[in-house]
Amino acid sequence: MATSVGAVALANPVMAASGTFGYGLDLIDLCPPERLGAVVSKGLSPQPRPGNPTPRIVETAAGMINAIGLQNVGVEAFCRDALPLLRERGAVVAVNVFGARMEEYLEVIARCERETGVAAYELNVSCPNVTAGGMEFGHDPALLETLTRRCREATGRPLWVKLSPNAPDLVATARAAVAGGADALTLINTVRAMAIDAAARRPVLANGCGGLSGPAVKPIALRMVWEVHRALPEVPLVGIGGVETGRDAAEFLLAGASAVQVGTAIFRDPAAPLRIVAELERFCEAQGIADVRELIGGLQWR
Amino acid sequence: MIARRDLAVRVAARTDLSPTCFRIALATPEPLTATPGQFGMVACGDGFDPLLRRAFSIAGVARRAGITSVELMVKEVGRGSALLRRACVGTELRLLGPLGNGFTLSPGDGGPLALVAGGIGLPPLLFAAEVLAGQGVAFDLYLGAATASELLDVERCRAATEAAGGKLVCATDDGSAGEAGVITGALERRLTAGRRYARALACGPDPMLRALARLARAHGLDAELSLEEPMGCGVGVCLGCVVELADGRMVPSCKEGPVFPAARLAARWSQ
Ligand SMILES: Cc1cc2nc3c(=O)[nH]c(=O)nc-3n(C[C@H](O)[C@H](O)[C@H](O)COP(=O)(O)OP(=O)(O)OC[C@H]3O[C@@H](n4cnc5c(N)ncnc54)[C@H](O)[C@@H]3O)c2cc1C
Ligand SMILES: Cc1cc2nc3c(=O)[nH]c(=O)nc-3n(C[C@H](O)[C@H](O)[C@H](O)COP(=O)(O)O)c2cc1C
Ligand code: FES
Repeated sequence: MATSVGAVALANPVMAASGTFGYGLDLIDLCPPERLGAVVSKGLSPQPRPGNPTPRIVETAAGMINAIGLQNVGVEAFCRDALPLLRERGAVVAVNVFGARMEEYLEVIARCERETGVAAYELNVSCPNVTAGGMEFGHDPALLETLTRRCREATGRPLWVKLSPNAPDLVATARAAVAGGADALTLINTVRAMAIDAAARRPVLANGCGGLSGPAVKPIALRMVWEVHRALPEVPLVGIGGVETGRDAAEFLLAGASAVQVGTAIFRDPAAPLRIVAELERFCEAQGIADVRELIGGLQWR
Repeated sequence: MIARRDLAVRVAARTDLSPTCFRIALATPEPLTATPGQFGMVACGDGFDPLLRRAFSIAGVARRAGITSVELMVKEVGRGSALLRRACVGTELRLLGPLGNGFTLSPGDGGPLALVAGGIGLPPLLFAAEVLAGQGVAFDLYLGAATASELLDVERCRAATEAAGGKLVCATDDGSAGEAGVITGALERRLTAGRRYARALACGPDPMLRALARLARAHGLDAELSLEEPMGCGVGVCLGCVVELADGRMVPSCKEGPVFPAARLAARWSQ
């Protein structure tokens, strides 16, 4: 089941997505991180962040909307408390990085550069840039290219940029990230969405809006992976969005992803990533596929 | 800590407790132990609707004829609870648990324990009552509901309380059974009359828990509250269920709770 995302070798193509697996150690009894292709940390900022008021999550048809507000323990606590244990267990760790300004991304990376056991950085660019009037980094190709370049200059490690499905022009942002030096693209982050309580005449979430994830977004995510793969066939992609089964993972690989991430499915079944690895293995066996990498980009267009 | 597991369980029995509430017994494939106040995340169906599991307090763990079953008491409020109500005996479900931290059950100085339950907040307290009765720890049980028909399983509550030599106090908002008014009112009258407790353990709707936290503070009584913050994962990874503590930290209720000492919670709980 081995595959790779650029220079990052993975024992299997299934990772745990950022924000859905804690710092990698919360589910060691139910889903040991070292048995996954990789684990992506919760988004880390230079300082701890308290996140948004509650309610922060609401279930919708075949999905959920979250407005957690990027609550996290801060990069220092992650490097001190989680990373050494992940290293000891032999887990492949991607650090998800975000910031309200460019310098914050660089600070998180600089702190992690002092540590071993970080396989890649994944930039979450679906955050408003406070120094540019709140425009999300991932929505403006020029801004995204600059951010990616500055992060690129800060590390020799593999750099993944996680694309937002809410950007006005997905392929343009994908190209910008690659131009800035991204080694791989992960997509998609959550889809901006809203739930309304009609009786109360109020939004359900305290934050008003949030990000939709789960099976409801899978068709959108597949289409986006396919579009970016078609535009940039050489760029390794990591597919995310509603992956619940091994077959879903196979669909993302066919659309052009080299690996997948599993997010919301973990909330339904904490061992979902392991189950998905086993299901994908069975799918390959049943299809007579010797090497899972044969699936990558294997979609046949009629 | 008791090891949590994700178990394939079978509906072993289901009985109505009130017009809106029912008890469901889930037979587990292996023995299981839990502490009162702990909960489980139940996958109520097997499709994407509902998508997420639902949190239910463990109301008891029974061992009969070599079979362990986890008891839940559920109020039908939406899709997940409706599916559970309709689930036939023999239906397989998944139960992830036991999760979270339970109540402090040790006897304390200064009197018996006060167990305070409002409506469907009863399950963890009935579990506590039966465990305490078994250990011979003294307690009184305060049971409140909107109306007489929603006072759940009064028989079992009475049996456990009497076995421990304590008193069962009932109250209904409409006065159709027991004392008229809210259950925290019934407790307050006794505290004011000089009744002393070592600790209050409570579960119920937020307004009841707040009233209890205020009461506890006014009377210098330790109180532990079981909160029902809506949950996504139940295992600390989604950060959907956070509760604000007095020190300003936002902690996942599923992991650091759902039972919290009232004094650890942010001030809004006792104002
Ligand atoms: C730790 C914990 C223990 C719980 N123990 C019990 C228990 O022992 N018995 C029991 O019947 N219920 C318990 N609950 C509440 C239970 O989880 C909800 O009633 C259930 O999730 C509703 O699911 P549903 O699909 O039936 O309703 P939905 O269709 O999801 O919602 C229907 C209505 O219920 C409300 N609701 C949803 N989730 C909650 C919640 N967590 N608390 C209060 N209201 C909610 C919604 O706002 C909506 O108005 C507990 C909750 C927690 C967090
Ligand atoms: C509760 C929650 C928290 C999330 N937190 C982050 C985060 O901190 N950083 C990030 O890049 N993505 C975050 N995501 C997005 C997921 O990593 C993923 O891109 C998205 O949920 C789609 O995948 P899914 O449908 O498998 O969940 C979060 C998603 C959820 C549901
Ligand atoms: S329910 Fe997910 S963190 Fe508590």
